[in-house]
Amino acid sequence: MSILSSGSFWAFVGVVAGIYTILALGLQVQFGFAGLLNFGQVAFMAIGAYTMAILVVKEGWSTWLAAPLAVVAAAAGGLFLGLFSLRLRADYFAIVTIAFSEIVRYVATNETSLTGGSQGTIALGPIGTASQYNGQWSRFEGRVQHAFGFSSSDATMLAIVWTVAVVLLALTWLAMRTPWGRVLRAIRDDEDAAASLGKNTFAYKLQALALGAALAGIAGLFYAWEFSFFSPDDFQPLLTFFAWMILLLGGLGRVWAVPVGATVFGFIFAGTRFLNFAPFTWFASDQRAYLRLIIVGLIILLLVLVRPQGLLGNKREMVLE
Amino acid sequence: MTPLLDVQDVVRTFGAVRAVDGASFAVEERSITGLIGPNGAGKSTLFATIAGSLKPDSGRIVFAGARIDGRAAYRVARAGVVRTYQAARVLTRMTVLDNLLLASTGHPGERLTGVLLRPRAASAHERRTLERAHEMLALVRLEAHTHEYAGTLSGGQRKLLDLARVLMLEPSLVLFDEPMAGVSPALRVELLEHILAVRRDRKITFLIVEHDLDFVMQAADRVVVMNEGRVIVVGTPEEARTNEEVVDAYLGKAH
Ligand SMILES: Nc1ncnc2c1ncn2[C@@H]1O[C@H](COP(=O)(O)OP(=O)(O)O)[C@@H](O)[C@H]1O
Ligand SMILES: [Mg+2]
Repeated sequence: MSILSSGSFWAFVGVVAGIYTILALGLQVQFGFAGLLNFGQVAFMAIGAYTMAILVVKEGWSTWLAAPLAVVAAAAGGLFLGLFSLRLRADYFAIVTIAFSEIVRYVATNETSLTGGSQGTIALGPIGTASQYNGQWSRFEGRVQHAFGFSSSDATMLAIVWTVAVVLLALTWLAMRTPWGRVLRAIRDDEDAAASLGKNTFAYKLQALALGAALAGIAGLFYAWEFSFFSPDDFQPLLTFFAWMILLLGGLGRVWAVPVGATVFGFIFAGTRFLNFAPFTWFASDQRAYLRLIIVGLIILLLVLVRPQGLLGNKREMVLE
Repeated sequence: MTPLLDVQDVVRTFGAVRAVDGASFAVEERSITGLIGPNGAGKSTLFATIAGSLKPDSGRIVFAGARIDGRAAYRVARAGVVRTYQAARVLTRMTVLDNLLLASTGHPGERLTGVLLRPRAASAHERRTLERAHEMLALVRLEAHTHEYAGTLSGGQRKLLDLARVLMLEPSLVLFDEPMAGVSPALRVELLEHILAVRRDRKITFLIVEHDLDFVMQAADRVVVMNEGRVIVVGTPEEARTNEEVVDAYLGKAH
């Protein structure tokens, strides 16, 4: 059980929770505030990560130019998806988002010359070379570690990811308190009523979708930097559902519920790594991986049953009609 | 004088049901026009069609000289035609105050660019909107519920909130779908007075569907009577009351 007492392991759990916070914050904007059923959030994460990696490796861009452009690309992906599908009924829209995220993954898998295909980013460069997109990022991380005296690069990443996450949370919190955020919440409650008050509901939904996609793009950047390598398999629909679990766990329509949900989720998920005792040892390791997901699912189901409004949600809001 | 609203041969079907079946009538500026007819006559459907929530199958709707049929609902609202729903559509998971604050047009704070680039204009507009909202709350006697979720209000209170929200928008044409249903008689008198005052001071025109015929006879200058999707009579309240077709339509349905 030595890994449990390892600081770097828990720092890693914290970094992942921070990345999930940013990813799920995007969903909170889209669903928690604007009522959009987006089941393809992971696609925007993939667009962000791939755009950055491709621009850095293939085009030789500076990370500091490639990263903002990657976020813009993710937002543009949201605009594109929204323009074509936001006029559909909510349930059809939800299905289209799943399809969109699978299409993005298939493109990433099959457009080998653009993305490196199923081999992942290591194959981004010319054949025979192992390409790296995070040289500039690693140097930046090293400087931050030195400047603040962090004990390890894990601790440094933890600080960077959570600083960004808190800034994004605060900005979202502020945005939702503006009259603009009020219109979003009105659309979530009753889109027709909002339209009859003169609100261009389509434009607002499009903005919410694009902003949520941009947040996913930022999560994609940190995912790429944290792991130094990624492939299309990293962007399975499962990741979108993790973000949804975080949202339900924390509570809908509450900005600060997202980091709480993400942290609890992160620790449940990490904690179930240590199921290395009977009866779990009766299963082969690949079976145990599935067993772990089942157990995570059950724990979350239980939590949601006990607190249907989420850890920070408002129970009264749930029963109002 | 050309009418403010001109409904010409509007048809709207739901499958085989011809909910509105070639309805034509006009609403004069600054009038209070009552729209009456038995249940299922097509009044609510006609409202939804005028407001842009439903597209007409055929026909024309002209408002202030411009065609509005086929426009999106939010554009019709911005042009100055605002409706209420028969079952009030308040935003249940928002506070009563927030419901009212939504009733403002051209709010710079409702655009992201306005929030970022014109914060002063946005907060000035927000202050004015807040003042107006409190006035309206006082008018419909909902001050005690200002910070409660609108979803906790009773049906009658929701009607009042909806009414307040629409009056706050100060549109040129208000479409009220049974505004008095579920409202106490005492408050009815006051709301009627307010509607009359608003029309006098602010040049607002009203088209009102109302089952309370006493209310219609008192308030309306003109009455449009619908039956089975068609307009059967347009006239003064007195003419409508004594018209045989109208009496038949009502009694025919009632018995
Ligand atoms: N959304 C709808 N789908 C199908 N039929 C509808 C719909 N809305 C109204 N109708 C039908 O259209 C007719 C007119 O209804 P409505 O406009 O609500 O009448 P009113 O408001 O005068 O009572 C009725 O026969 C009603 O059943
Ligand atoms: Mg009706």
